[in-house]
Amino acid sequence: MLGAIALTAALAVSGFLFGRRAKLLADLVRLGKPAERSDDLPRRTRNEAVIVLGQRKLLQRLVPGLIHAAIFWGFLVLFPTILIAMIGAVDRDATLPWLGHAGWYALMVDLFAVLVLGGVVGAVLIRKVQRPARFEGSHLGEADLILGLIAGIVSTLLLWHATRIALDLNEWPAEWSPVSNALSGLFGNDSVTEVFERVFVWAHVLIILSFLAYLPHSKHLHIVTAAVNVFFGHTRPGGRLEPLRFDVADAEMRFGAGTVPDLTWKQTMDTFSCTECGRCQDVCPAFNTGKELSPKLLIMALRDQVFADGPKLVRGEAGFEPQPLVPGAVTDDVVWDCVTCGACVRECPVSIEHVDHIIDLRRHLVMVDSRFPAEAEPMLRDVERASNPWGRPQTERADWAERLGVRVLEPGDPPPDVLYWVGCAASFDERARTAAESTAKLLAAAGVDFAILGPRESCTGDPARRMGNEYLFQSYAEQNVKTLNDAGVTKVVASCPHCFNTIGNEYPDFGGDYEVIHHTELLAGLVREGRLQPNAAEGRITYHDSCYLARHNDVLSDPRELVAAVGEPIEMERSGKRTFCCGAGGAHMWMEERAGKINEERVREAAETGAETLAVACPFCTVMLDDGVRQRGDELRVVDVSTLLAEALM
Amino acid sequence: MVLVLVEHDGPEVDELSLQALALARELATGEPVTALLVGGGGREAAAALAAHGVGTAHIAEDERLTEYAPGAWATSVIELVDRLEPSAVVAAGTNRGNEVLGHVAARMDQPFAANCIQVAGEGPLEVTRMRWGGSLLEEARLHGDPALLSVAPHAVAALAVDGADAPAIEAFTPTLDDADLLVQVAEHVSTETSGVSLAEAKVIVSGGRGVGSAEGFGILEELAGLLGGAVGCSRVVTSSGWRPHTDQVGQTGTKVSPDLYIACGISGATQHIAGCKGAKKILAINSDAEAPIMASADYAVIGDLTEVVPAVTAELRKAGGP
Amino acid sequence: MRILVCVKRVPLTGGRMVLTDDERALETRHLGFTISPHEECGVEQAVRLVEQHGGDVTVLTLGPAEAEEQIRDSLAIGGDRGIVLVTGGEEWDPQATTGAILDAIEAERASGGAHDLIIFGNESADSGNYQVGIRVARALGLPVVTGLKGLSVEDGFARCEQEVPGGRDVYRVPLPAVVSVLEGINLPRYPSVPAKLRARQKPVETSTPERPEARLEMVRLRVPPGQGKQAEILGNGPEAAPAVVDVMRGLGVA
Repeated sequence: MLGAIALTAALAVSGFLFGRRAKLLADLVRLGKPAERSDDLPRRTRNEAVIVLGQRKLLQRLVPGLIHAAIFWGFLVLFPTILIAMIGAVDRDATLPWLGHAGWYALMVDLFAVLVLGGVVGAVLIRKVQRPARFEGSHLGEADLILGLIAGIVSTLLLWHATRIALDLNEWPAEWSPVSNALSGLFGNDSVTEVFERVFVWAHVLIILSFLAYLPHSKHLHIVTAAVNVFFGHTRPGGRLEPLRFDVADAEMRFGAGTVPDLTWKQTMDTFSCTECGRCQDVCPAFNTGKELSPKLLIMALRDQVFADGPKLVRGEAGFEPQPLVPGAVTDDVVWDCVTCGACVRECPVSIEHVDHIIDLRRHLVMVDSRFPAEAEPMLRDVERASNPWGRPQTERADWAERLGVRVLEPGDPPPDVLYWVGCAASFDERARTAAESTAKLLAAAGVDFAILGPRESCTGDPARRMGNEYLFQSYAEQNVKTLNDAGVTKVVASCPHCFNTIGNEYPDFGGDYEVIHHTELLAGLVREGRLQPNAAEGRITYHDSCYLARHNDVLSDPRELVAAVGEPIEMERSGKRTFCCGAGGAHMWMEERAGKINEERVREAAETGAETLAVACPFCTVMLDDGVRQRGDELRVVDVSTLLAEALM
Repeated sequence: MVLVLVEHDGPEVDELSLQALALARELATGEPVTALLVGGGGREAAAALAAHGVGTAHIAEDERLTEYAPGAWATSVIELVDRLEPSAVVAAGTNRGNEVLGHVAARMDQPFAANCIQVAGEGPLEVTRMRWGGSLLEEARLHGDPALLSVAPHAVAALAVDGADAPAIEAFTPTLDDADLLVQVAEHVSTETSGVSLAEAKVIVSGGRGVGSAEGFGILEELAGLLGGAVGCSRVVTSSGWRPHTDQVGQTGTKVSPDLYIACGISGATQHIAGCKGAKKILAINSDAEAPIMASADYAVIGDLTEVVPAVTAELRKAGGP
Repeated sequence: MRILVCVKRVPLTGGRMVLTDDERALETRHLGFTISPHEECGVEQAVRLVEQHGGDVTVLTLGPAEAEEQIRDSLAIGGDRGIVLVTGGEEWDPQATTGAILDAIEAERASGGAHDLIIFGNESADSGNYQVGIRVARALGLPVVTGLKGLSVEDGFARCEQEVPGGRDVYRVPLPAVVSVLEGINLPRYPSVPAKLRARQKPVETSTPERPEARLEMVRLRVPPGQGKQAEILGNGPEAAPAVVDVMRGLGVA
């Protein structure tokens, strides 16, 4: 009786505290602007199964992943024991129907309880002994407390079972609970143990209930939010950004995120899902070259701002002005340091989309505040007025092609089998140009029917979009889609991964649906078909994966086939989807780098392989890595895969 | 007869006015031309004009003419035009030359061709004048009497003639009213300039987009310092905030005429070339052998400016400096 | 203050000048366009003055119908209304341009009162005639100061600064006045997208003036011979340094 009252009281208090906070969190999420995340339900469900249940992203780092999986799967298995304990706290002889009587379940409980404890010990060893750098800036005290509570929950459970076995209260053979059984040796079948039995069960219940009340105030909240956040994560390719709408009423127009009320509900959820694990920070090229940006600290800072401004907005406090996110929550440098490489998003076990946050912050800074690095302004003006970020006249775009006799598609011409989208870099930068020249020669040699648009090819708008000038981007997206559609183009090959990503993944939002492939995919196909027959050569080649090709778009094997066909490939450690950025993404081709050099860091890694050639498949990577080689003075030839292939045909 | 507005600073005649005189002499088909000098020091300056084909020099004198006032200068020109009835009035295409003739043209309701490089014929005059800062030329007919034109700086060489007599000097006081003096220099503010100014430098080391950052200009400053020259830049550099507009060379910046203009990492847009084509020689340092600047440069080094510029500095130092 | 700014639409020519077949115009197919640089700074200066002293800014252009694009860009910087004097894209010499502008100014005076300040660019990037501002001022009987790198307004006077060797010359001219400015007087702001969207809604009047006979009559254009030079390559990379120093010695600069 007393027990029932006590439990009810404890449940009420804990439930109230939990509920009140949960309501605030739900209100804060509801405050968020709309985000379209209900497409492709089958994929979302699959993601839930694989990422949450299967812990796939966590297992990208094997040991910490296994440790977490142990605790998580253990939590799932042990969940019913919470109810069993509460029932048992009230009435010593009562338990949950069916499961409470099942010996096999008792066995599972014992084993998983030990697994959880093992996980906790592992976590403690990592945090206290190994002390990885990714925890810099995280709230370690909070993590310790949570680990302590978990350990407390599991140990009180085991000890409770131990005392029950000692008191002969178990319904199944004691050996079926091997661990509890072993512990039961500490207790005799006496009144002292009877007291301990009550103590442990109540301790267990009370620790759980206080954990419940504490949960929504801590990062452990992720046990609820992570599952939801993963479900609502992006299902479209990583390189695609969500468009803004400019064809709506002024009051409905959103220009990115300037203050907390501008955040979408998914962005708010992102901040509630962060466990401060720091895996994103570990792989961030900016952070790892001494810059201020850490994706983890960014999300934590936004979370803090949501909690600072959100409640007042939920209450509808009169006259309250939310603080500008920049520079209130994060500095300008943090926003501009990002190269949109997506390494953080790939690492995040709870599907936080850091790049979306950065881009939305940039959108507001650029489109509303006109507040961005001065050296990027000429680029934006040039894209707007001259149709390319180099500010060179479009009439000069096809100069390189004229010298090679490449066909320029005029209005009214029948469309070619494949339209070669050259890109601004290859048109105007001499180092990027060699890839276009090589590609054109190879396509001609293989007898592919192709043409370029020449002066009618404008910038795809990628640099403007990555800077945050969505408005300018959309005007070029619409213009280019019209040009391509009017020309009847159905297949596009691009030698620039940024053009490839934008035309393939982003132009469909503007009525442009084409089959878009990267030049390495097309060339690899031609080699496989025997239409191009390279002579294999000696010479070790290390291939650098472009972020926009490998990580955002899963193009990994075709470039490697080409490299293998022309030399001896040797992989860098950070390769494939774990590639390390060259530093040009996120419009950084046009912005200065303050502190540290991402390109030099990557060149260091390439040089360490001992290869003589650093093969790339992107004009930006070509320029950045070549600059890096010159700055460092390495003996490394930076060259596009297509040029290697062209040389191997001679 | 051709009337030429000659600018001078005290007793020194402006070089560009001497060039204008050369074109005026062509227009006058070898006959002596008449000069007008306004403001203090005119008499001394006029003496130097013998060698440049001036027969008579009219000096407009009035103490109110000490400070430049375009309206008053224009009044002086118009008075002389009314009296002498020249077929053409010529000035140098300087800020003041263009401004004064602009005023004259407006008051006389006559057309004015600014920045001419060539003239021919008579009634109407056929002029070739500069568009786009000189990157494009316009052939036009000047339907005016007198023909009003200014001469593009450095388009024509000043011709010195030996053994000519000193010009006759006639002073006059133009009738000025208040409106003529409403716009007059009220104050001179000196600004401290460290180093050589772009307009006067014999060598300019100029950087464009290829320099990469404000700090990147360090190597250019070093080379310029060693040569006693000035540092310039292209428009994208100013728009990026790396250097002040006063360093900008180009059609809308400063137009320079050094002995050597070194263009580092500058692609060579006509807008920029318009500012530096007055240089005797242009050296381009660029990693792109196909960059447009190659069509305007006398010499080129194909390479990375961050390597080439320090190498040149080192080479200069090696041989014991310039 | 009521300010009028006159701007011109000019092409972005890049590295080469290419003429149309009749050699009377630049081939502008595939070229981008912009507000002539000095004039864009004029718009920015006008907007700053009005931000400081109150008033409004009208932006006017004489050009083809597409020049409305440059007017809208000016309105995005902060202009309040625009006027496009629409031509067929043909040449208007300085006196013809002046006449059309004066007619528009007269119409403006009749409807809204005279302007306190009229701002021109010192010369347009393309034709570079250096005189329209002076002609307009003369016809209106207003003082005119050209080539400004500094412009401020105090107590009904315009303080005008020109850059000269050694410093600046300062003029103080009573308003109403006409001025022409140079790029470098300010750095035009990067308009926000809301400003661009608002600019689409601001009022722009158009009219079609008649072109009088040209008195500075363009016959044809030609590309000067200097272009198409072939630079003498002194070498590749840092190894060219000795050759460079030789050239310098030859020129007497080193």
